[in-house]
Amino acid sequence: MTRDIVFWLSGAALAFLVTAGAFLLLANLAIAPSEKSLKPDETPGGSGHAVDLELDGERLASLRPLPDQSLEVVVQNEGSKQLSDVNVTLSVSSENTALSDSRYYRQTVEEIPAGGAADVRFEFDLATPEQPGARLPAVTQEPSREILELRATTPEGNSTVRTVILPP
Amino acid sequence: MALLVAGCAHADEEVSIAPLAPASGRVDPGLGPGTRALSSGPGYKGSPSWSPGGDRIAFTVDGYVVDKPTDSGDQRRWTTRDFFAEVTEWVSEDTLMILGAAPAQPTRTQEISSSLYKARAGEDSLGLERVRKEVLAIGRGRGGLIFALGSGTYESEIALARDDGEVYRLYTRPIRGRVAALSPSPGGAEIVLAVRPPGDREISRLSVFDLRTGEAREMTRLEGNQEILGTPQWTEQSLYFVAGKRDTPVDSDGAEPLYYLYRVSQEGGAPEPASGVGEDFVAASVRVSPDGKRLAIIGRLNPKAPANLYVLDPLTKALTAVTTNEDMEIKTGPDDLAWSPGGESVAVIARGIPSTEPEVHADPVDRLLKDFYNLYEIPVGGPEEAP
Repeated sequence: MTRDIVFWLSGAALAFLVTAGAFLLLANLAIAPSEKSLKPDETPGGSGHAVDLELDGERLASLRPLPDQSLEVVVQNEGSKQLSDVNVTLSVSSENTALSDSRYYRQTVEEIPAGGAADVRFEFDLATPEQPGARLPAVTQEPSREILELRATTPEGNSTVRTVILPP
Repeated sequence: MALLVAGCAHADEEVSIAPLAPASGRVDPGLGPGTRALSSGPGYKGSPSWSPGGDRIAFTVDGYVVDKPTDSGDQRRWTTRDFFAEVTEWVSEDTLMILGAAPAQPTRTQEISSSLYKARAGEDSLGLERVRKEVLAIGRGRGGLIFALGSGTYESEIALARDDGEVYRLYTRPIRGRVAALSPSPGGAEIVLAVRPPGDREISRLSVFDLRTGEAREMTRLEGNQEILGTPQWTEQSLYFVAGKRDTPVDSDGAEPLYYLYRVSQEGGAPEPASGVGEDFVAASVRVSPDGKRLAIIGRLNPKAPANLYVLDPLTKALTAVTTNEDMEIKTGPDDLAWSPGGESVAVIARGIPSTEPEVHADPVDRLLKDFYNLYEIPVGGPEEAP
């Protein structure tokens, strides 16, 4: 009799553990995709997020449409291997695409240790040059905004982009 | 320029801006289900025009002309960046007629005198052929292109051109006043004209021109500093146009002058407010559907309401709100909407509310949508079904 009771109790406990394990497994499967979706999307051409770019919000807000502006960018190595020769480019252009005054700046970071970061400082011209044929848009008289496009690219082709739109 | 490898200790000391989520092709632009972006990236876009087959759309960007496939594919530029186009009209699948001013012409101190140019795809796409000088307005008719020419200071002439741009009929009887806009009747035998009469500051006269006889007749004339905005439209039942007082002072809150949608019968007479839109409706632009049965209107239900796209059935007086958007600024220029050739969708131009702070995105600039005025295709359903 006692043996039967022990047998049934053991069976019930085992069934409980198996069922609980199955529920835990299902719960984990359901959670996994939403955790993944918090990551920013990859840019075409990259096979993973080896580098990331961080921008200082206060510094961006202090930029003015004048020459001799500067901006520091933090290039982060999010991978587990040291990175070499990471190209960082800055493109400065106007929202008005009829103006052909885009300026390009480039720097190369020689080494970034795994999990580390490098500061890259750009000094650039944010003044809108006067162009004889340039017009404001016909209907709106809004001044055009300036656009900064930053891109970090590893020699393997992994690339991260940040586009900054500066209010007029 | 300085370069400093600093390890990761500095990261916590800065206030970094996290990029906004990539937008292209995935984020609802706020213009309703089924809406599709037809362009992306920066540039002040305007005057959309569908190709006859509906598989491409041309538009202006900061004055120059581009087109692109409506599904996917690269943008194609038709004019140099210093060209200033007002309107484009397709005359065949590979030919655009462009009303605009070439760069050599004055743009600042003198009034621009526009010319009509022809551009063909596949050739030297930036090489334009000038068809006519001093062209005032263009429209697509049944047999080709219809355009109005300036004739002296206070007169205009109407001309018809084949799809290759060759003028095959020039009506010699002049029209008194300067034609500002024109569009054909549903049958194509007549055109409706918005005219600035001699000596008037406003485009205040609505006339009809018979392409068979070459005679013009006045349909109505606005009084009291009122002017017609954009291109009048001709439905199966009536003529419709947007009008208001141009000299209305801008409110202290920056509101635009108010324009309303009016209707005139095909026999002419005094204009009356269009039925079906409501007393407070403020109109910005209007286009008749290809079958002449519906009107697409960009407007506001009242002066304080956001601009949205509406479709009016002039026969039943039913107004349908195609978009109920409050997050996007729909562009309200008189030429900033266009029906697709099949009448199943309308192209509009819209953008999100511009931020007053720097915004950081994780997409390249040419893939951004809501940050700039871009084209969207909005399904409106067929004439028998509600959108």
